[in-house]
Formats: sequence, C-alpha cells, structure tokens
Amino acid sequence: MERRTLLKTGLGLAALPLLPRLAFAEDKEPVGFWYESASPENQDNLKTLLVDPFNAAHPQDDLSIDFRGSDLDKQLRIAMLSGSGPDVVYTAGPSYVASMAQAGQLLPLDDYAAKLGWSDRLLPLFTELGKYDGKLYALAKTYETLGLFYNKTLFDKNSWKAPTSIAELEALAEGMKGKGLVPFGAGNADWRPANEHYVSIILNSVAGPDNVYKALTGAIPWTDPSIVAAIDKLDEWWQKGYFGPNYFSLTGEQAFAQIATGQAGMAPTGTWNFTNIPPYFPANNAEAGFVGFPSTSGAPVYALGIGSTFSINAKSENPDGAAAVIDYVFTDKFYSAINSVWQGEWNLPLRDLSAVKLSDKVLPLYTEVMKNLSSAVGDGRYGYTTWTFLPPGTDSYLVSGMEEVWLKKTTSKDYLKKLDDTFKQEKDAGKVPAIPKRT
Amino acid sequence: MHRLYLVPTLIINFVIVLVPALLTVVLAFCNWDGISTPSFSGLDNFRALFADSVFWSALINNIIWTCIFLIVPIAMGLLAASMLLIVKRGSNFFQVVYFLPVVIATVITARVWQGMIYSPVTGLFGILSRMGLPLANPLAQPSTALFGVATVDLWHWWGFLCVIFFAALRQVPQEHIEAARIEGANYGQMMRYVLLPAIWPTITLMMIMTVIWSFLAFDFVYILTQGGPAFSSEVLSTLAYRHAFYDLNVGQAAAAALVISLFGLVGTFFYVRLQAREGEQ
Repeated sequence: MERRTLLKTGLGLAALPLLPRLAFAEDKEPVGFWYESASPENQDNLKTLLVDPFNAAHPQDDLSIDFRGSDLDKQLRIAMLSGSGPDVVYTAGPSYVASMAQAGQLLPLDDYAAKLGWSDRLLPLFTELGKYDGKLYALAKTYETLGLFYNKTLFDKNSWKAPTSIAELEALAEGMKGKGLVPFGAGNADWRPANEHYVSIILNSVAGPDNVYKALTGAIPWTDPSIVAAIDKLDEWWQKGYFGPNYFSLTGEQAFAQIATGQAGMAPTGTWNFTNIPPYFPANNAEAGFVGFPSTSGAPVYALGIGSTFSINAKSENPDGAAAVIDYVFTDKFYSAINSVWQGEWNLPLRDLSAVKLSDKVLPLYTEVMKNLSSAVGDGRYGYTTWTFLPPGTDSYLVSGMEEVWLKKTTSKDYLKKLDDTFKQEKDAGKVPAIPKRT
Repeated sequence: MHRLYLVPTLIINFVIVLVPALLTVVLAFCNWDGISTPSFSGLDNFRALFADSVFWSALINNIIWTCIFLIVPIAMGLLAASMLLIVKRGSNFFQVVYFLPVVIATVITARVWQGMIYSPVTGLFGILSRMGLPLANPLAQPSTALFGVATVDLWHWWGFLCVIFFAALRQVPQEHIEAARIEGANYGQMMRYVLLPAIWPTITLMMIMTVIWSFLAFDFVYILTQGGPAFSSEVLSTLAYRHAFYDLNVGQAAAAALVISLFGLVGTFFYVRLQAREGEQ
C-alpha cells in the first residue's frame, strides 16, 4: 500500500466518529440524556414513552438516552468537570446541584421556567429546592416519602390496628416480638445508606420537622436535646431487637419480602417499595397496607425526599432542546404514561394531579398515598429526609455513624457532636442544599 | 536510534501513571469537592485524616489483612503445589480447579458468597441454622466482618499462588528431588531442605507483591460490606473511596491514597532490590 493511500485511509477512519454528528447537523440537533441503571423493560418504557414521542413532536431535536449504570453520579462529575457531559443533567439530588451550580457547570433555568410556565405546573416547594444563590438550577425528577408498610392480612388476623402514635407502635412491636415475629422488616446488605431511612423517620417523628428545619438552617445544633432524644429512641428500638437479627445480612428487597411472608410485621421504609408489593404480596395471599409514620405529636409526618433532579449543562450546545425534554417530562400525559408502567421512580412534583389517569393495574393504595403526599407538601406539612437536605459529608457520616451507635462503638451524643462538626464545616463551605422557608 | 523504541512506553507511562500520580500528590494538599476549583489547604487533609479514628482502624485492618494474606494463601498454595508435584496423577485437573476462582469475576464471587453461603435467608449458613447448627453471618458482626471478607478473597486468590508455586517447583532439578528421595527424605525434609530453598526467590516475590496488593484491597470489601458494620471492615482504599465519592472530599481521599502509596513504595523498594540481586546473580 502506498504511503498516501495509507494516510487517506487513516484520516478516513479517524473521521468516522464524527459522522453521526455531521449527519445530524443538517436537520436535527442531538439532545444527550444520561440515565442511571434501568431494567431492560424500563429501558423500553423510556424509549416508547419518552424518546420516540418526544422526537416525533420535536422534529428539530434528536433525543437519545444513554444508560450509564449505578455509577452515573461519578461519571457525570468527571464529564462535567472536563466540560463535556450530557445536555440534560440528571443529578443524584439537591446536594449535588449546589456543588455543580457553585462550580458554574449548570445553566440557570429561570428564563425557561418563566417561558414554559414551569412555576405554574410544579409544586412551589420544588422550584425553591432547586435554587442556588437565588437562581433556579434544577427541577426534582421524583419525590418520595417515608412511612410504614404493613401486612394488612396479618394485622386483621391478630386484630392489630395500624399505629397512630409512637406508644401504639412500640406496643405493637412488643406484641409482634411476643409472637416470634420481627417487628421491622429491614436490611442494608445491598445498600448501606438504608440506615438513613430510619434516621430520617426518627428525626421527623420524634424530634419533629420544626426542630430538623432549625438544625438544617443552623438555628440549633445537631446536638440539641430534641435530636439526641430522637437518636436515643432509634437506638432503643435497635437494642430491643425491633430490627431483627439479620439487618446487616438482608437486602432491602429481602427485608420487604419478609412482611409479605408474615415473618416481619411492618416495614418503615420509602414509597419506592410500592414496586415490591406486586411480586411478593399476592403470592403470599397477603394484602399490603401503608400509613404515614406516627409521631410523638400524633399526626404522621411525611418526610420529603428527592431522589434525583434535572438540570441543563452550562456547556450544552442545544440548551433549548434540553429544556424541551424537561418540559415534555413535566406534563400530565407523561406522568400518567410512565407511572402506569413504572411506579416510584417518576413521581414528578406536578402541582395538580386531577388530570392524571393511571392504568387500572396500578395499586389504588399507591395512587392514594401519592395524592396525600402531594397535598401534604402543598400545605407545608412535610418533614425532611437526610439524603435530600444534608450536604454530602454530613450525610455520609450520618449513615455510618448510626451503625456505631447501634453497635455501642460510640454514644448518641458523640455521634451527633461529630455530625454537627461536619455539618458546620460544610455549611461554611456553602455545601448545604437550599432549605425552603417553613410555612 | 534504538532508544526511540522506548517512546511509546514512556508516553503511556507519563499519561496514565505519572500525571494522575502527580495530580493525586497535589490534590492531597488541596481542598476539593471534585466539582469546583481546588484551593490550596496545606497539611489540613493530613491533619483531618490522622485525627479521624476511622483512619487508624482502617490502617490496622490493612495490617491484619496483610498478615492474613502473607500466611494463609501462601501456606495453602505451597502445600497444594507440593502435593501436585508429588502426586502427578490428576495434577492438571486440580490445577484447573484451583485456578478457576481466579478467573471468575470478582463481583460474581462476592455475590455467590454473600447470597449462597453467608446469607441467613438464601445461603448455606441459613440452611445450617434452620437445621439446628446456628451459624452467624460473619459479614454482619463487627468482630468477624473483616475475616468474612478475607475468607472470600482467600478462596479467590490462593489458587493463583498455587499455580505460580507449582510452576516454580517444576523448575527444581529432578536430580535434587531424586537424590533426596534416595537419601530417605520424608515430605517435611524434602520441603525444608530441597523445595523451599529452590523456590525461595518466587516465594519472596509473592510475599512482597502480597504486601503491595494488600494495601490496595478494595473490591471484595466494597461489594460485601462497604466497610461496615460500623467501619469494622473499613480499609484505607474504601476509606479513600468514601471520602472521594460519598463525602465529596477529594483532597482527603488523595491524602489517604498517598498513605496507601507509602506502603506500596516500601514493598516496591524491596521488590526492586530483590530483582537487582537476582540480576547480579
């Protein structure tokens, strides 16, 4: 082969990766969207319910979803740092948004919000949560809450009633122990941060959301007696064996399955577990129940969690296309379609759910809980999940440190002292996510 | 002209090894969340690291891990390799069997042990417990979590050492072995006076590499316990990972990585010295 021919061939091969971009350049502008892991079935759902209809409705854009696996947040950070990354930025929660906005990696969304009417369509709290330094940078993709799942069939058989106070909950747990049942179906073998589900529950139910708000805004330290009392209560439940002997051995799904089989009585966990009701409860001839987690004040507190958010990359070559994708997602039509086939992951914070129509196959209990949550958030009756409102270092210590309290390697006071020190450092560094004013 | 052949290797080493290594050194003296611009913070990361009790428990865990891996798999590997040498029948089959865990993906090995052996619900331990032989999941107890993880890594690792030692033993001159046999040497004497001295350089090399690899131990710990419960199985690499990717404190993660490198450097020093001595011989 002649040297010139070799050179031409080499250049031709080197240009191959650019070809798709050149092809789009004529009529369509690409919109990149990196998603985390999803089952093959749900990847198909996103294709048929989002990608295909969006591309059909927006001939100038070409949306493509790249499934990047469970390490999406790490890949995203590296890509954004190097000035690349997708157009639609899917972050793991508000604490990531604050850091990315601080570094100038995200585009302010205020103009799009005004132009496309997002403020009218979304619950106001969620536009506040996506702000950094007064500008809107992110919209919550899904929101969730924590509560108490239980086996209604088992409860009926034993004439038990869903607890409405902490005292009732404890009496019920003792009754379950007496019958050889594990009171709480819980486990963290596959997801160690599951610890913070219980810390979030106890902070809101025992210390109360007002005190948690004060701690988050720095008005009181995390060593406040109300918070110490809450952690002591959680420790007391652990020492009494409410979490059972296999907490560190069971995966979240195995633990949840235990309430369906009747080995455990209740599961204090998040609404994402609605997805585990169909595979386990009917097979065990059991019916599932769900109530808000009781509190010392009586009324249940809906601790608010945001699993992920949408933003636009500051370096995006097609920010209008990215905004159009976000706009398409926040509609009654998409909410109805995606939640009919995939519950728990796309609970978009729409202000009005009256036009939403879910498939008959969706559990009525799920629909009811989500409507209750939406109205609780709308009325300001919500609490705080730690993974949504705490900065990353504080949240990470909260998870591991709680195990140290349970296993008697530290005291609740020392645990909260270290938590408070870490929080203060991160607060001074501007790492605390936006905390909307409590009404 | 012949020195030009070194250029590709040097470029690869510069880009893939030297630049990230230097960046890690620089970042250890910076305050950086992995997202915004780093700022110089002097020795703050090292101060914070040394003041953290988890760092010291992780370091101790690394030392325990190193001791375990210096003794158990090397002893098992030597024993099995010498048996393969003595009992020739079926040695190929057993080599394959011993080596099989090495080629199974780490995550698969870890999940098999976690779900099919240790789990009280779906594993062998659960079955035995239900049959009246109570066995607690070692990964769930702070006192045994590190040993539970090390057992899985040992199962996966010792076969590699066995094959390496067997290959070295096969290089021992047959006449030495025959002479020892004629002299009436038993198994212990054969090992003590013939085989071990003959493969000593291989054993030393494997021990040095074990020290280096032990301070890099990450995968099985991360998959099986993520350093828990209550930091009981935390090692330096999982600590660094947690600082970098959960706490978003890359500076402190880099400081922990430098400490890991220090132990690696000590191992490398002895490795290079050994190689140089062998070269001289």
